[in-house]
Amino acid sequence: MIRLYDYVLSASCYKVRLMAALVGVKMDHEAVDFHPGRAHKSLEFAQLNPAGTLPVMVDGAMILTESTAMLVYLAKRAGSQWLGPDDAKSAAQVQQWLAFSGRLAASLGMARLHDMLLYQGDIDAWRKDGHAALRELEAALTERRFAGGDWLVGDAPSIADIACFPNVALSQDGGVSLDAYPSVRLWTRRIRALDRFIEMPGIHRLHELSPAPKVA
Amino acid sequence: MIAQQVLNEWYPVAMAAQIRAGQRRVTQLLGQPITVDLQKGAIVVTGQGGALHVTEAYGHVWACPGAPAHDLFPIPEASEPGRRLVDVGVVRVKCSPLRAVENFLDIAHFPFVHTDVLGAEPHTEVNRYEVQIREDSDEVWATKVTFYQPQAAKSSEGGIVTQYMYRVAAPTAAVLYKTCPNRTDAWDVIGIFVQPLSEELCDVWPWMALYDDVSPQAELIAFQQMIFLQDRSILENQIPRLLPLDPGMEIPTQADLTSIAYRRWLKKRGLTYGAQMVAA
Amino acid sequence: MTPRWTATGLSQDLPKGVVMAGHWMGHDLAVWRSATGRLQAWNDRCPHRGMRLSHGFVRGETLACIYHGWVYGAEGGCKHIPAHPALTPPATITVTSFACAEQDGVIWVAPADMAGSPPAVSGVQPLRSVSLTCDLAAVLAAEPALHGQDILRGTVQMDGQGHDVCLLVQHNPAGLTLHALSGLGANKVAASRWVENLRRRAEMKVAA
Repeated sequence: MIRLYDYVLSASCYKVRLMAALVGVKMDHEAVDFHPGRAHKSLEFAQLNPAGTLPVMVDGAMILTESTAMLVYLAKRAGSQWLGPDDAKSAAQVQQWLAFSGRLAASLGMARLHDMLLYQGDIDAWRKDGHAALRELEAALTERRFAGGDWLVGDAPSIADIACFPNVALSQDGGVSLDAYPSVRLWTRRIRALDRFIEMPGIHRLHELSPAPKVA
Repeated sequence: MIAQQVLNEWYPVAMAAQIRAGQRRVTQLLGQPITVDLQKGAIVVTGQGGALHVTEAYGHVWACPGAPAHDLFPIPEASEPGRRLVDVGVVRVKCSPLRAVENFLDIAHFPFVHTDVLGAEPHTEVNRYEVQIREDSDEVWATKVTFYQPQAAKSSEGGIVTQYMYRVAAPTAAVLYKTCPNRTDAWDVIGIFVQPLSEELCDVWPWMALYDDVSPQAELIAFQQMIFLQDRSILENQIPRLLPLDPGMEIPTQADLTSIAYRRWLKKRGLTYGAQMVAA
Repeated sequence: MTPRWTATGLSQDLPKGVVMAGHWMGHDLAVWRSATGRLQAWNDRCPHRGMRLSHGFVRGETLACIYHGWVYGAEGGCKHIPAHPALTPPATITVTSFACAEQDGVIWVAPADMAGSPPAVSGVQPLRSVSLTCDLAAVLAAEPALHGQDILRGTVQMDGQGHDVCLLVQHNPAGLTLHALSGLGANKVAASRWVENLRRRAEMKVAA
């Protein structure tokens, strides 16, 4: 079974947990005391991943330390549409969005760690970069909507959407509101409404999707 | 001007283990800068006017900027043998420290905010419970609280009716006692120790004393952080930021007896840091 | 100040069953569309413990607060309190309503007692809403072809051709939001990119 070294509050770990849930792949979760213990920076953990980062995915002899690579692995194992359409242009666009998701982590993700877990750094720059990235995402999703498209690449959700989703959906944790980005908000809703979607702290259940309980 | 009674209380300011390991924590308490560090083997909290009164308990460093009106509140369970003591780790929230405590005392939000963990629709009814202000210790207590929960603790299997007691032990510190899944004769204890950085910003230090011989420490921490982080986006979006102590702006119901008592207790004792008096 | 209709969003950005944040003259709003399509704009605050209703959830013809699930129906009256399922909530538990009207693909808000209809906007179709960090003066300076104060109109160059554009101005605490509509013959992607370029030009003038 795939083992995921995991931290409940990590947006990058959540990317992988979410992908696994959406494609129905079971994983063995090994909780790492990221905060307050900083166990990911320990000598012991360095034997597994010298970079000292989470998540880490182990499957047999394979060790992956980049969350986007883990999304590719899960999508390919599920043998499904999640990698995006097969043509050159779509494949390139998926890669572009996977790279873009790194910018979201480096801006929105860091603002969140600063505001929530007291990470030190240039919070103004992180928020400014976060808004810049959100504007680009908003423009792209708006243009997709003009063409009748709901997802970043192709006609179905792909690893491009899943890679970008967590840091965007958690942006208010770092003081960046999504109020100014209507296409982004509608896109996050669509993802949250996917079959087999799972939440994480900071992303509430969409209660509107379940009917009101009958009043006794 | 901060009321003297506010200054004379104890507030958490650091995790003791981290200071003992050599960390120097530069932070803020009631709007004033303070530093927490180890000096000649002793933990010291220094403010602009010099050293603050310090004590160490329940894994945390506590400071009193004024003249302590009393000792830090007791939690006898912390010294019971066999207990797992868990420092859950600090989380910063842009809210009034009093809002953070009040949220901790509330159970009606379980099905909506901690969905499928601490509560779920249609089990939303809050049964009557009892609240009193204990005169001897001057603390607010809620007892005979019950709620149906799908997965009440890391060590639970399936849903149970959990019993709770809530205790406000200090203006910004509360303790909850919940049914221990592993034992019928003891409570699991969860504390929320809130450091007021300002009236609208706080560092929350959750802590636990549990009976659980099985779960790895990282999982216990993760579970409690998950619960608290689900509350954070609620706390940061309540208006007004300051806790209203006068009625009018907010409408409580029977389920809110603990919060009503907490607000009345704060008002009576003049502990209004993080509160607003006027029903705006 | 004379009460007036303010654009707070585009119809296309608020499907059925969704709530979003809105704003009118210093008031934060929860603007939502019911299952049957009915639009309402309320004070963004649940009277229970002050939680923003714009974080809530729509079920049928009701909007519920995410904190304790209190359910509000037409005109803002509380219909159900989940902690006390058998209780009929007192009529005093109400959320303040604002007037909300949908016209030309735009969602307009005004105080509840506002008379009349929002201004008509003809010859253009809804495009997108964008937020800016600069003020209105910077926008007008960046694009002299635009005229107006709350409703900016003009003919601008997109892809080498002249097209009508209409920008509805909304001031909110975060800055300026422009709800953009473009000429019926304009390509929407080109129009969207024109708006982005306008924003860059307007914001750079402030930075300079």
